[in-house]
Amino acid sequence: MGNLDFGSIFTLTLFAATFRMATPILFATMGGIFSSQSGIFNVGLESLLIIGAFFAVVGSVKTGDPMGGLLFAVVACLIATLIFALLHLELKANAIIVGLAMNIFAAGMTNYLLVEMLDATGVYQSDLIIGFKEVQIPFIKDIPFLGDLVSGHFPLVYVAFLSVWAVYLILYKTPFGFHLRAVGEKPQAAESIGINPKKMKYFGLLVSGLMSAFGGTFLSLSYLNLFAEGMTAGRGWLALAAINFGGSKPVRSLIACLIFGFADALAVRLQQFGLPSQIVLMLPYVSTLIVLLFSAMSDERKKKMAASKHKRLNTAKA
Amino acid sequence: MLNKSQKPTEIPIYKKIIVGAGTQIANYIIILFISISIGALVIFLSGMDPLTAYLALIKGAFGNWIKTADTLDRSTVMILAGIAGTLAFRTNVINLGLEGQLYIGAFAAALVGFSVTGLSKAVHIPLCLLAGMLGGAMWTLPVIYMKLRWNITELVTTLMMNYIAIRFTEYLIAFPFKDPTARLAGSPVLEASARLPKLIQGSTLNIGFIIAIATAIFSFWFLFKSKTGYEMRMVGLNKDFAAASGIPVNRSYTLAMMMSGAIVGLGGAIMITGFFGRFLGSFSSGYGWDGMMIALLAQNHPLGVIPASLFYGALANGALAMQSATGVPQTVVVMVKGTVMFFVTVMVFVRFIRRRLTKWVT
Repeated sequence: MGNLDFGSIFTLTLFAATFRMATPILFATMGGIFSSQSGIFNVGLESLLIIGAFFAVVGSVKTGDPMGGLLFAVVACLIATLIFALLHLELKANAIIVGLAMNIFAAGMTNYLLVEMLDATGVYQSDLIIGFKEVQIPFIKDIPFLGDLVSGHFPLVYVAFLSVWAVYLILYKTPFGFHLRAVGEKPQAAESIGINPKKMKYFGLLVSGLMSAFGGTFLSLSYLNLFAEGMTAGRGWLALAAINFGGSKPVRSLIACLIFGFADALAVRLQQFGLPSQIVLMLPYVSTLIVLLFSAMSDERKKKMAASKHKRLNTAKA
Repeated sequence: MLNKSQKPTEIPIYKKIIVGAGTQIANYIIILFISISIGALVIFLSGMDPLTAYLALIKGAFGNWIKTADTLDRSTVMILAGIAGTLAFRTNVINLGLEGQLYIGAFAAALVGFSVTGLSKAVHIPLCLLAGMLGGAMWTLPVIYMKLRWNITELVTTLMMNYIAIRFTEYLIAFPFKDPTARLAGSPVLEASARLPKLIQGSTLNIGFIIAIATAIFSFWFLFKSKTGYEMRMVGLNKDFAAASGIPVNRSYTLAMMMSGAIVGLGGAIMITGFFGRFLGSFSSGYGWDGMMIALLAQNHPLGVIPASLFYGALANGALAMQSATGVPQTVVVMVKGTVMFFVTVMVFVRFIRRRLTKWVT
C-alpha cells in the first residue's frame, strides 16, 4: 500500500471522473423516477441498462455511427419496457416479479445474442465499434479550474445532467407532470377528473426505458468501446437506491447519483495506488448502504423535530 | 376462482382437488410445450436441427445413470436456493441477496473445512454445513437491522450485500487465505474429513442431494403445518391484518430472512464440501438467481421446488452436452427458461383451464 497521499488521490481528475461515473446511474435514475412517480417501481432498470449497452454496440457496428448505436439501444429498450408494461398493466403480473425475471432473462439473453449476432462469448471488443467523441466546450475549456472539470466530457454526460433539469420541469411545472404524479399518488382520484391512469403508467415506464437506453449506450460507447457480460455491475440497482434515497425527486436523487459516482471514481483511483482491488471495488455498494442508512436517520430526526414542534404549538394554544 | 353464484358446497371436495391439481398440471404441460417449441424455433432459425439438438440435450442430462446422477447433483444447490427463495417470498420478504448469502455460506464452510483438522467425518461434515448455514444467516443481519429499525427496503440492501459478499470472499482468497499452490484464486484444499461422501461411483452426486430433499420436506412441513410457518404465511398475505391479529410481524420477517440465508448458505456449503473441495472465486454461476426463478416457477411451494430444480439442472447439464455435440450454443436454453418464466408470471392459461375443468368435472 505504501505511500497513500491524500493530495494525490483527490485531484481534479477524480471529480471529473465522478461526473462520468455518475452518468449511467443518473440516466437510469431519471428514467426510474418517471415510472416510480406514475406508481410503478421499475425493478428492471438493470436489465434495461444491459440491453441498452448491448444494442448500442450492435447498432454502432451495423451503422458505423454512435448515433446509430443509440437509436438501436432506444428501440430495443422501448420494446423491452413495452413487454414489461404489457405484462404488468394488461396481464396484471406483479411488477417486482416481472422486473426481476427481466433482469435475469436480459443477462442471459444478451449473452446468447452476443454469440448469435457478434460471434463472441463473454466480451466483444473491436475496432468496428465506433464510440462517441469528447466534446470541448469553447471558452469554458480555457478557464483553468472549471475547464478541466466541466469540459472534455462525452456528449451523453451533458445530456444526463441536463435531463435532471428537464425531468424536474416536466414533473413539477407542466400539467402533464402533475397528472402523472397524481396517478402515482391517488389513481382513483386522478381517474375521477378524467386522467387515464393506465396511459400515464405506460408513459412512465416507457420513459424509464428510453432513459436507460441512453445510460446503456453511455456504458458501451464512451471511454471503453466494448460490450462485456455483466458490465452494468449493478448500476441499475444503484439507480433504484438513488430513487429510494431521493424519494423519487429528481434533484435529491441527483445527489445520491453523485455520491455513487464519486465512490465508483474513487474505487478506480484507489486501485492505482495498490490497495487490494477486491476491497476497493466494494466501495460503491458499501457507500450505497451507508447513504441509505444516513438518509433514513436524518428523515427520522426531521420527523421527530416536526412532531415536537407540533406538540409545543398545541400546548401553547391550550 | 369459482364462479361466485355457485355455492362452494355444490361441488364435492374430491372434485375440487381434481380441478385444482388438474389445472396446475395442465398449465405446466402447456407452458413446457410452448417453451420447448420456442426454443426449437430459435435453434431452427439459427440454421440447426432442433430435434438433434434436443435429443443431445436429453442424452446429456439423462443419457445414463452417471449423467442422471450428475444432473441430480447439479440440481442440489438449486433446490436449496429455491427453498430459500420460497420461504422468503411466502413471507413477502424480497430477499434478492441469495447469491451473496450463498458465497458467504460457502466460504464459512470452506474455512471450517480447511482450518479445523483431526476430526472424524461424522463431526467435521456437520460442522462445515452448520458453518455454512450460520454464515448465510449472519449475512442477512445488516439487511434485517436496516429494514426493521430504519425501514429501508430489502430490495436494494440485499442486492448491495450480494456485490459486497462476492468481492469480500474474493479478497479473502486473494490475501488472508490464499493458497499459494493453487493455479486459480482459491482457498486451501479442504481436509478429507470435510468432504461429503459420494452416493454413486463415477458421479459427483453426494449426500448433499438427500440433505436438500430432506430440507424441502422439512420446509413444507414448516410452512404449512407449524404455527410459526402459518404466521409467516399470514404476514406474507397481509402484513397489517397479521399485525392486527397479534402475529409478531417483525419476528416473522427476521425468521424468514435468516432461514432463507441459512438454507442457501447450506447450499453453498454443500457445493464446496461436495463438489469443489475448496473455495473458488466466482464459483457460483448465478445459483442464487436460479433459486429465485425456481421459487417463482414452483409458485413458492417447497415441494414444487424439487421438480423445478430438476428441470433447471437438466437444462444446465444437457445444454453443455448439446453444445459440444451439435454446436448449438448452450445459451439457447435461456430462451426456454425465459418463456417458461413469462407464462408462469402471467398465468394466462390458469383461469381458462380451471373454468373448462370445473365445467367438465361437475
